Amino acid sequence: MRLVLLTSRNLKRRPLRTLLTVLGVASAMLLFVLVESLSAGLDAALSGSAAARTLIVYRQNRYCPQTSFLPERYQRLIADVPGVLSVLPVKVFLSNCRASLDIVVFQGAPPAELLKTRELELVSGDLARFEDQSDGALVGREFATRRRLAPGDRFRFGGIDVNVAGVFRSSEPVEEGMVLTHLEYLQRVGPVDRLGTVTQFEVKIDDPAHGQDIAREIDARLRTAEEPTDTRPKLAFLETATRDLREILRFGRWLALACVAVVLALVANTVLMSVQERVKEFGVFRTLGYRPSRVVALVLGEALLLGASGATLGLAAALVIIRTQHLSIGSEGVPVSFLLCGAVVARGALAALGAALLAAALPAWNAGRREIVASLRSA
Amino acid sequence: MAFIELAGVTKTYTKGEVEVVPLRDVTLAIEAHEFFVLLGPSGSGKTTLLNLIAGIDRPQQGTLRVGGVELGKLSSGRLSDWRAENLGYVFQSANLVPVLTAYENVELPLGLFPLSRAERHRRVLLALEAVGLSDRAAHLPRQLSGGQEQRVAIARAIVADPPLLVCDEPTGNLDHESAEVVLALLDRLNQERKKTIVMVTHDPRAAAHGTRRMVLDKGRFRPEEPTR
Repeated sequence: MRLVLLTSRNLKRRPLRTLLTVLGVASAMLLFVLVESLSAGLDAALSGSAAARTLIVYRQNRYCPQTSFLPERYQRLIADVPGVLSVLPVKVFLSNCRASLDIVVFQGAPPAELLKTRELELVSGDLARFEDQSDGALVGREFATRRRLAPGDRFRFGGIDVNVAGVFRSSEPVEEGMVLTHLEYLQRVGPVDRLGTVTQFEVKIDDPAHGQDIAREIDARLRTAEEPTDTRPKLAFLETATRDLREILRFGRWLALACVAVVLALVANTVLMSVQERVKEFGVFRTLGYRPSRVVALVLGEALLLGASGATLGLAAALVIIRTQHLSIGSEGVPVSFLLCGAVVARGALAALGAALLAAALPAWNAGRREIVASLRSA
Repeated sequence: MAFIELAGVTKTYTKGEVEVVPLRDVTLAIEAHEFFVLLGPSGSGKTTLLNLIAGIDRPQQGTLRVGGVELGKLSSGRLSDWRAENLGYVFQSANLVPVLTAYENVELPLGLFPLSRAERHRRVLLALEAVGLSDRAAHLPRQLSGGQEQRVAIARAIVADPPLLVCDEPTGNLDHESAEVVLALLDRLNQERKKTIVMVTHDPRAAAHGTRRMVLDKGRFRPEEPTR
């Protein structure tokens, strides 16, 4: 008789109680995993390797892309600053400036410069078609999956109607949630018709160590211009843009912690009741020659099985929700997808199993240590 | 040397604020292959003595040897191992695990030995055959009669082939017919398989199956002559 079989049979004694406990653990794990997935998605969004060599020039004292308008001609002025390798004017349009669960981010830039500056790799479609068609769009892989888009599809959002020319992957994860279009097209069809203006400039520099100096120089040269600028390293820009999200996540972490506590309480309650009902049975096991450690292992095994079942169910539910609901939260134009990666799965499983073990530790210890004769006398 | 030897064994415990002495300076020897029956009124210390012999309780004073091993000197873990190898315990109620089939209940003690699946299977079938319940192997305890449950418990007690069987009122919960079947089974185990049996009972008819009977009264023995 294997311990695992005995453990699983024991959980079938009270099927409803077991089911309710597993469902409770699963619900807690679902919430835990969603919070962790969002956190992992945010980390991934900010993990691009090119971020250190890129500066973002933005309108001073503006935080939402919908309110940042910089004259396109700044491109030449910025390009003259020593240390600048290239300047990409970018028009940004997004569905929502604030936190949203289904954000759509369009970025328009001159096609040739865009393809030269950004480190994009075409997964499917045709780059020439993108360059030739004024309404052509390159769609980030993550966004394409979320919206089930493929080359040849037409996609319309907020009055912007684009023809998907290709799907790309990028070394900058945050870009994989975006739609890239021609600059002029986005300037014309966007809700705010301001030809000759862009939202931001992406500036590639020769040495990341000089980033702060170059940023200061750009802002100094444009201090007295009609639209003064605020230039920051891309990473700092992204971190500022996602500050709201980080605040939400900080609260989310407390929720995740509460989920672990719920798992602990649920499993502890079930194991405690189960052990109390079977005091005599444990006495019989001990009489048969089972060592106290085996009885402890039996109880811990039941708790682990409860935790593992709940965690599996919760993880599966999270996977289904993330895959089918295509959740992508955004903040100030930075799209962040829920990322259910191996590390998140491992953290969820560890949290559930750890809480289950902790919950069962005391009842298991007591079951193993109880005097045999006293156990046998128990009703 | 006797198979079971108790010398000056005293067992006390406290019940509330009262100290109870169920066994006081008990000395006893039981030979190998005996069917020893312990009689006595309620509270006389029979079950306490049985539990000491079974190694599930420890005396405060005196020495207790079973098969040459002084049980009082074994650690809790070693005592568990000793029970697994040397003891079969039959309780008044069968105490089967309700979620396991008869087969799986009988298999329980074998999980403590490094046996192959095939060998475990062989031994379980032999034990079930010995108690005449081969055809009930797949039944859960709730699908068995009281007598059948007790026979499964006996199969569980003998499956690891221990030399000692300890029975605490094994027929106490059974009707006359079932009790006779169980007692006949214990007779056979004693006579054919040479098991040493120590049985506690209130029932004179059950006691008659023993090769030696003794009465325990207020923690001390009152011997009786062998009945056969």
